[in-house]
Amino acid sequence: MATVARIPMNMGRRRMTTEFLTLAQWLSPAYPLGSFAYSHGLETAVAERWVTDADSLRDWLSEVLDHGSGRSDAIWLRLGHAAPDAAGLVALDAEARAFAASSERITESARQGAAFAQVTGAVSGQDMPAVQFPLIVGFAAARQGITPTPAAALYLQSLVTNLTSAAQRLMPLGQTAAQTIVADLHPLCLRIADETAGNTIDDIGSTAFLSDIASLRHATLEPRIFQT
Amino acid sequence: MTLHAICDRTDSPPRSDGRGVLAVKRRDAVTVLDRVRTSGALKLLFPGGRDPFEAVMINTSGGLTGGDRQDLKVSVGANARMSLTTQAAERVYRAEVGHARVTSRLTVGEGARLDWLPQELILFDGSALDRHLTCDLAKGASLLFVEPLVFGRRLMGETLRRVALSDRVEIRRAGRPLYRDTIRFQGDFQTHIARTAIGQGAGAMASVVYAAPDAAAQVDHIQRGLPAHAGVSLLGDDCLVARILAEDSYLLRRTLIPVLERLGGASLPKSWSL
Repeated sequence: MATVARIPMNMGRRRMTTEFLTLAQWLSPAYPLGSFAYSHGLETAVAERWVTDADSLRDWLSEVLDHGSGRSDAIWLRLGHAAPDAAGLVALDAEARAFAASSERITESARQGAAFAQVTGAVSGQDMPAVQFPLIVGFAAARQGITPTPAAALYLQSLVTNLTSAAQRLMPLGQTAAQTIVADLHPLCLRIADETAGNTIDDIGSTAFLSDIASLRHATLEPRIFQT
Repeated sequence: MTLHAICDRTDSPPRSDGRGVLAVKRRDAVTVLDRVRTSGALKLLFPGGRDPFEAVMINTSGGLTGGDRQDLKVSVGANARMSLTTQAAERVYRAEVGHARVTSRLTVGEGARLDWLPQELILFDGSALDRHLTCDLAKGASLLFVEPLVFGRRLMGETLRRVALSDRVEIRRAGRPLYRDTIRFQGDFQTHIARTAIGQGAGAMASVVYAAPDAAAQVDHIQRGLPAHAGVSLLGDDCLVARILAEDSYLLRRTLIPVLERLGGASLPKSWSL
């Protein structure tokens, strides 16, 4: 649990204001990225009854975070943060697309990444290339002097928040149960953000096989309310 | 055998080192051998009389364990066509020390096609494997790729309590990344694969990649034949990917063979017939 306390403490009071407020703005559901349209394959998992209640949703999300796209996205965010320039970022984008489990995974990340680049670029007056979502979040964070670990932690929490909201539209799940899941996964978000420090593209990978298969199957799921 | 290898054998279990280089080319209307060289435990057979050209890999050491090496380089020249399979399922035994390392480097020239169709790789409890495959496709080259993995010998009641697995695949077209996949796991695989978003207790898995001009046209047909624990999609315009989980290796084959028949057509080796 040491990592839980370390992140805010290292930042100091003044940096905490700028870093956390900027990250909270970017990764809030109010930032106009259209994230609510994407279920990351969760809609398939609910339709197949692989996810049926709060407990199975918590399990699903923690496995996606720890063994699937959560950890990989945290690494992509760090790689985007370390990218020297837009050309380097675009080269990483080609790798990230090749690693994607499905066409819908590319789409949801590309659309959120493009929306993020457009809004953040316009607000900051900086040029932001449209690349996969975690890459541009890392790249933008670096340009604002934001360190990658809190950016990764908040990114992972925004993924959890978004998927928990999606679950509330897909199955019976009350507000309290949903927010309890988000809170329960705080330590995991922080742990992954911390553990991915120093990771490279060789550390990208997934064993969240059924999460990936759920995403593959979503394109032909009938009926469906989410784009992915 | 080198002095180094002899010294190694005194303090670690016997190890095998198999190496192979295989190149084929197009001559007139057919694909012919261009170059072949093997050493150690890796042998290559050419059944002959098959169209397209077929090669069969054999690991004469009977399986892989810690410290074993296998290294294969395959080149399919412009407009040539080859399918490559293994004579039997490959077993990865308990490793006393180190990892088994398997590397495959494939290149497919312009207008050429490679069907990479090894039989199952069976992970035993205690196995340690580091496998890395790279494939470079020229512009206009095609690839059908499958890697079936079996998680222990279920019929013998074996469970994978301890596994160290790193399995990397990198496929590029004209130098650009087309498909990448890394499966890395260390620890109690049986507990891991039981989890809901991981495998719900699956005993076998396969990844399929089909990089070809008609890839997009195949997605719908393949999708219709897949059970709930399998999916197919398109990465880019010309790269179909499928991932299949199954209860055991028999059920995996039952799902996989129609997919390979569809994508491989007449070129499917005998080892992949039902």
